[in-house]
Amino acid sequence: MRNKLNIKQMKMKRLILSVTSIGMITILTSCGGVAGDKPTAENKTAAIDMKVTGEAKVAEVTSAPNVPAPVGDRGPQKWIVNLETTEIEAEIADGINYTFWTFNNTVPGSFIRVREGDEVELRLKNAANSVLPHNIDLHAVTGPGGGAEATSAAPGQEAVLHFKALNPGLYVYHCAAPPVPMHIGNGMYGLILVEPAGGLPKVDREYYIMQGDFYTKAAAKAGLTEFNNDKAVAEEPDYVLFNGKKGSLLGKNMIEAKVGETVRLFVGNGGPNLTSSFHVIGEIFDNVYLEGGSTVSHNVQTTMIPAGGSAIVEFKVDYPGQYVLVDHSLSRAFNKGAIGKLKVTGEANPLIFNKGKK
Amino acid sequence: MKPATYILLLLSLLAQSACTKEKPHDEKQGEVVRASIGPIKTTVKMVYIPGGEYMPFYGAIDSNAVKVPAFLIDERAVTNEEFLSFVTANPQWRKSSILRIHADTNYLRDWPSDLELPKDARPDAPVCFVSWFAAKAFAKSAGKRLPTLDEWEFIAMADADTFNARSKKQYSDAIIQLYMEKGRQFKPVKQSAPNYWGVYNVFDLIWEWTDDFNSIMSIGDSRTGGENNNKDLFCAAGATSASEVNNYAAFMRFGMRTAVKAHYTIANMGFRCAKDTSNQTTQ
Amino acid sequence: MKAIGFLAVLTFLLSSCSFNEAKERKLPDNSIFHLTSNWKNQDGKSMKLNDLKGKTLVVVMIYTSCKSACPVLVSKMKQIEKAIDKAYLPAINLVLVTIDPENDTPEKLKTFAQTNKMDEPHWTFLTSTEEETQEFANVLAMKYKKIDPIDFSHSNIITVFNPYGELVIQEEGLEINVEKVASTAVKIAKENN
Ligand SMILES: [Cu+2]
Repeated sequence: MRNKLNIKQMKMKRLILSVTSIGMITILTSCGGVAGDKPTAENKTAAIDMKVTGEAKVAEVTSAPNVPAPVGDRGPQKWIVNLETTEIEAEIADGINYTFWTFNNTVPGSFIRVREGDEVELRLKNAANSVLPHNIDLHAVTGPGGGAEATSAAPGQEAVLHFKALNPGLYVYHCAAPPVPMHIGNGMYGLILVEPAGGLPKVDREYYIMQGDFYTKAAAKAGLTEFNNDKAVAEEPDYVLFNGKKGSLLGKNMIEAKVGETVRLFVGNGGPNLTSSFHVIGEIFDNVYLEGGSTVSHNVQTTMIPAGGSAIVEFKVDYPGQYVLVDHSLSRAFNKGAIGKLKVTGEANPLIFNKGKK
Repeated sequence: MKPATYILLLLSLLAQSACTKEKPHDEKQGEVVRASIGPIKTTVKMVYIPGGEYMPFYGAIDSNAVKVPAFLIDERAVTNEEFLSFVTANPQWRKSSILRIHADTNYLRDWPSDLELPKDARPDAPVCFVSWFAAKAFAKSAGKRLPTLDEWEFIAMADADTFNARSKKQYSDAIIQLYMEKGRQFKPVKQSAPNYWGVYNVFDLIWEWTDDFNSIMSIGDSRTGGENNNKDLFCAAGATSASEVNNYAAFMRFGMRTAVKAHYTIANMGFRCAKDTSNQTTQ
Repeated sequence: MKAIGFLAVLTFLLSSCSFNEAKERKLPDNSIFHLTSNWKNQDGKSMKLNDLKGKTLVVVMIYTSCKSACPVLVSKMKQIEKAIDKAYLPAINLVLVTIDPENDTPEKLKTFAQTNKMDEPHWTFLTSTEEETQEFANVLAMKYKKIDPIDFSHSNIITVFNPYGELVIQEEGLEINVEKVASTAVKIAKENN
């Protein structure tokens, strides 16, 4: 199970909770007009004690490779996040369609971006023409099942979950309806970013990439395939893909940056089974938020992203060219689709890289 | 009698009648109507199932097999036209008068009016968008009942050739294939081959209500594998678990059952009826 | 003399009439008082849910021989009772419905009420048939299953209904927020007085 807090933290939280719970009401009323808590003053404020201000607004969510605008230095707020679970046919690889199950009709599902202390009302609607019930387990949520049982929605029904984002980090969310490997295997996952108070440091470019392994049947109908349980159990995928489709980050879909810019990739791995060895050929990650958490490692070549896990990688692009994103378990990249490209344009600095004679 | 007294008496009578008339809603009367069910006739053939022991997919207590007594079951699901005759005989179950406590707002969603089937619906397709309460009332009006979960699952063990095909490699896969087909609920009943018992459309048209669907604690979050880790929530937690982890089709079915409430009405959910065998001759 | 008598009758009729009208607003569509199931309380008195109309209801489903969750639920109900201002108790009905009608007879419920000091008038215990119990459980979206001759597994839900039988809140699990249930019940009782 998820154990995001260590015992000490838990005890601290509980202590703070019990001490402050009485005083809370008075604080609440007294700080009604103040616009959130300023990043400088709140370094010591536990997320649970951060007060939200204003009415709930509908949060902007985006499909990969795009991400919503950074939270910046705004205070904690209330958000409504709308997600719809659907069962759709879409292309998985050249000319082959697959029956995907999705959040908001894309694989991965919509990117959700909030900050710690935010209060989220997540409305999960299951499309009326769905065959099955679906739900959502957000790894960013503290509480039973990450919300899975609370959000279980039969076809045509809507479920609502309220949660407070307590821990900053980049988290996977996914469907946990039975049988869960099938729901995830069909594409029911996405990322939710909980930024720390004050927001992540500014960068020039941000992108959303999520890996997943897909197990397919010999096409039942012409050009349409679906989940293959035997292959999933054997963990032998036909496809290992970024953003749910072969070539989703190739050709005209390449992500882009200019020389001198800083790039931040929010990388998740939905699985259901494989661990990713995420690497960008020809780049070194200046910063890696290991496993999407708060520990930042520097000068990393390849970072491990477990199934149901994530990483935030940052690097400055210094030299133009096409940089290849791969799962460095390379058969997956070259044979199963786990490959994408970052196109960097601008002036070449021969000091950094120069092909030729001495 | 003095005129004054007379007038007073008259007045009081008037007041009384006015009073009863003014009562916005005579509940006692409404109650009587609601409590009774007008009988309907259905011509559906019922199949005799001899029953026997079976291992529930989910909810077996201490891994014990469950004994299912003999019963009769409709060979197919209740159709649109049968449900129409039911609401015709039972006004309280019509779209415009059903209580919200008995069905959500999608009840018979696509019916243009109380006694009119959806324009493009086949009368012999299974009725959907019906709640458990409505299904139960229908069964009662037909002199039957809803099948129990055990009865339904007992039948669901069969494929075309054997009464228990669960150990067959293809069994679960074939069912999933059927489950995944969109719009399958619009097809007429009895167009595919019956199973071993002669029961039609067990998997290929709709999800079906069972009488005691609410007896499954919860696998809405399937990773608990039925063994409810959250012991706080349930009495005798841990007494239950799924018996075949690879039977994904059954996981889906049970997932569906735990995701619904009795007043829900759903696009691909209908029902069939069952009956006790007592005073019945076997067929 | 007679005239005065009639006059008295008339005023009575008129006043009772308007009184009734005020109380008898049309039952909402989602009211549990529409349910036609038959129940017996701890005194063996036959009743319908409609007989509970007019008071705020705090309802829980349990069975008396339960050794694990139900004692917790019962103690939660008693905590709720304690958390309710005494002045409002007459407007509130704390209702325990058995999921084990076979064993929980009115007599048994009566004894249970007495041993647990739940025998004041604001406590109601109800038992019915298996079928009607199941129907009521489904109205509450309460799950239960008989797992052996004496035990049930079941979900733990406390529900508050307003005097018209509409569901106001449901609290689930054994960590039920007693304060919230009690304050909600009081709030509704106040509003409907
Ligand atoms: Cu799902």
